[in-house]
Amino acid sequence: MANALRAQLDGWLRQRLPSARETTLNQRKIFIVPSNTALGLVGVIALLFLLGINFQNSLVYIISFWLLALLLLNIFYTWRNLAGLTLTAMGVEPCFAGEKAVLEVELSRPVKQTKYALELAWKGEDQVQVDLISAQTLRVKLSHSTEGRGYFKPPRLQVSTRYPTGLAVAWSYVYLDVQGLVYPAPVEKAFQPIGQSHGVTTDDGLEIAGGTSDFSGVRDYQHGDGPKRIHWAKFAQTGKLYTKTFVDYASHDLWLDWDELPMPGIEVRLSHLCRKVLDFHQEQRQYGLKLPGKVIAPGKGEAHKARCLQALALFGVASE
Amino acid sequence: MNKQITYTGMIWLLAAQLVVMLPFLFDLPLWLLPVLLLVAWWRLRVLAGAASQPGNVVKLLLIGLGVGGLLLSGLRFPSLDAMATLLLLGFAFKSLEVVQRRDAIVVIFIGYFLVALHFLYTQSLMAALYGMVSMVVLTGALVGVQQAITEFSTGQSVRFNLRLAVFMLLQCLPLMMVIFVFAPRIAPLWSIPLASGQTQTGMTDRMAPGDIEKLGKSDELAFRVTFKGKRPAQHELYWQGLVLNHFDGHEWRQFDRDYDVYQLKTALMSHYRWQPERMQVQGNPVAYEAVYETSGQPWLFTLSPAVEVEGDVLRGADYRVMAQEALQAPFLLKAVSYPATQRDVALPEYLRTLALGLPSTGDKRSRELAQRLRGEAGGEQAYIDKVLARFHDQAFEYTLNPPMLGGRDTVDAFLFDSKRGFCAHYAGSFVFLMRAAGIPARVVVGYQGGEWNAAGQYLAVHQYDAHAWTEVWLAGRGWVRVDPTTAVAPSRVEQGLEVAVQAEGSFLADSVLSARKIPWLNGIRQQLDTVQYGWRRWVLGYDREEQAALLKSVLGDLSVGKVALFAGGLFAAIGLFWLLALGMAQRRQPEAPEHRLYRHFCEALAKRGARREPGDAPGAFAHQAAEHLPALAEVIREFTQVYEGICYAPPADGRVATRRLKTLLGKIR
Repeated sequence: MANALRAQLDGWLRQRLPSARETTLNQRKIFIVPSNTALGLVGVIALLFLLGINFQNSLVYIISFWLLALLLLNIFYTWRNLAGLTLTAMGVEPCFAGEKAVLEVELSRPVKQTKYALELAWKGEDQVQVDLISAQTLRVKLSHSTEGRGYFKPPRLQVSTRYPTGLAVAWSYVYLDVQGLVYPAPVEKAFQPIGQSHGVTTDDGLEIAGGTSDFSGVRDYQHGDGPKRIHWAKFAQTGKLYTKTFVDYASHDLWLDWDELPMPGIEVRLSHLCRKVLDFHQEQRQYGLKLPGKVIAPGKGEAHKARCLQALALFGVASE
Repeated sequence: MNKQITYTGMIWLLAAQLVVMLPFLFDLPLWLLPVLLLVAWWRLRVLAGAASQPGNVVKLLLIGLGVGGLLLSGLRFPSLDAMATLLLLGFAFKSLEVVQRRDAIVVIFIGYFLVALHFLYTQSLMAALYGMVSMVVLTGALVGVQQAITEFSTGQSVRFNLRLAVFMLLQCLPLMMVIFVFAPRIAPLWSIPLASGQTQTGMTDRMAPGDIEKLGKSDELAFRVTFKGKRPAQHELYWQGLVLNHFDGHEWRQFDRDYDVYQLKTALMSHYRWQPERMQVQGNPVAYEAVYETSGQPWLFTLSPAVEVEGDVLRGADYRVMAQEALQAPFLLKAVSYPATQRDVALPEYLRTLALGLPSTGDKRSRELAQRLRGEAGGEQAYIDKVLARFHDQAFEYTLNPPMLGGRDTVDAFLFDSKRGFCAHYAGSFVFLMRAAGIPARVVVGYQGGEWNAAGQYLAVHQYDAHAWTEVWLAGRGWVRVDPTTAVAPSRVEQGLEVAVQAEGSFLADSVLSARKIPWLNGIRQQLDTVQYGWRRWVLGYDREEQAALLKSVLGDLSVGKVALFAGGLFAAIGLFWLLALGMAQRRQPEAPEHRLYRHFCEALAKRGARREPGDAPGAFAHQAAEHLPALAEVIREFTQVYEGICYAPPADGRVATRRLKTLLGKIR
């Protein structure tokens, strides 16, 4: 029942406050109610009114009515402190599942107005209070915890103010049309065998020094080199001992292959792959990623890492 | 959220507390001062970081001191003084433990309450102005404690908050006035004993030799009167307050024993009540409105007899008009008097008995004199004339500094020995002589005359206008006013006390610096008094009747619908005024045409899949969009160029460029 009601309220709010990259708060979007403090003042006003009646004292009446007028006027003031404020979503930084996603929002005010004590909050999450006095725009960052990988879409953000007197609360909900990636949470230590060479040699493969298959050159003889490796022909020519060197050719393609993972479970696998991507990136190695239905050719660098992580984050997530 | 109060907020709070508490020091026990100062000092030390928040022991000690002081100060419970003192103590002590915004708001709300509470002590114009200042500081503090740490410095913040508080309170004024005019005025629901420590001023309910002359030396205001029609001549202005019937050989009192206000009220409502059928209304009416100053006494002063009286008052068989309670606030009375009216042509027996009573012994010489003169005179009127002639002929002297008469046979001492006295002496001895000769008579005390304020068109009656005169009952004529003082000093009644004691130089001799003695200052004093009187009448005197009269004069016949409509209209007007004042009603700033066109341009491209991210510069965006939409690349580039041209180097005639933009936009669409 309560949930249904909340869902209905949320639906109504969404309709009234459509999500957008940039929102300017206007009269349709701002809600305002007297605060608890105002209830206290109403008590004082009532007491003074009684005092005025009992002592037939005009000045006591006047103070009572003055405070009442102040209470009403304040609704206008508080409302104005929020009206005209523009919020622009600058973006959400990617993060790993379970970490905090950080939303960056730019606040800007109309030229001739100043805004005080604006409060941006996610219920139960982060909140921040700022003034917009000398600066026309200001960027604030808010963090929100994430659960699973995929897209992080910021829930409705409450923007509120009690300025100037705290007698009224004006607030609005802002649905920001922005999303951030949440990568799978990497495991502590990746399953070792994956991502090793498949032993396939190609022409542009990596040489593995100290190999046995192909001759690569000669170097000065060092003590302990086996007699099989001594380049006798060269010795004959120069009278000096040279040692022949050989290399193995390894595949440069370190493949992170979904199918090679022995463990069951999609998320577990993704977490292992995630770890591995981070490790390879750290080691500045060249790697590729094979996921069912998606293959990312081997590469290296930040952009490549981001592509891989994105693929992991969105694996199986309906693309939008 | 940070709910702690900032340093600036604390300073605000402390300032507000001091401003609110200051005026109470004039009315409340003086020992409060050190307590309040101690608290403020402690608070400042905490703010300066020199001391910590007081511990529980210190708090308990302070509360003990406060409560102890309260108990020892002899304040009555429950009374306004006790309540105010308690509230002030709480107000001061609360500041010791203010940390959270919540505490601060409690302090500020109590502050608002205290500002209003102070008006129960005084409603003067000065007090009201001071109250406005207090409101501003409190409201500034309310804003101050809301602020978190901002980029403002303390000085900036104080200036900013003060200006904001003043603006807000000024914008509240129209609504406050509308509510003040329209809010229903309800009769008191219950009564709280007010102000135990209030001093009584003016007329008391007894008259011993010397009492009235004390008033004669005071230039305090007693009341002010506005006449509706013609102002009566100065010598006709006898403002009757109360009637003294009982003489114990030394002083005159109302009754043979002291009645408290409650008993007096009972008497005035039963056997001593007003009986309008006993007067025959004659002559011309004098209609007037009087505003009586706070005196701590129930007496009201009217021209006798006041036939029609508006307001919640008591009236007695001696034609007195009395307030229900001792006046703790200025009191407005509207009355119509018919001075020529015949009163009590048939005198009830109990009134006759009252008006003939004398002590059984004492003042022998006076009694003999009365018998002798009465025998010589024959008629009652002739006897009266004879007594008055005696005052006039026998070198009696009118003085503010009469000699002491001793405790016994005071009438004899005055009539035969000192022959120097004030109105009380003449009135008292005259009534004694009347009664001794068997003629019913009584002393009337009140005020005579008053100072005409030409600027404000009203009469100001001061304490030095206090006067005592007599009423004598004559067969066929009823009560007749006789003022024996006129036999000695006619100028007292014609021109007032100042002229009457001119030779003596004793008028307000004690107040050396009285403005009255310097002509140009006196003019200013009268002007100020005019303002004060307007304040009294229109602000303080605004009650149920005033409200009804005002609404009637504006709206004609009253109906709920009409009043509601009128008040609703005013509220709407004020709401609009607020919107305008806050700049919320203004339309959105018109967007320059090139910006509007660029917005349309971006929207059109977005439809085709090239979205401009916030923060993208037009140039960068054009580059991206052109790559995305090669077919439109040329148009996009040109549009952006023209747009940037207008933005960064506005051409002399912007219209050509704008038209170009429109054309290009058409191509994209």
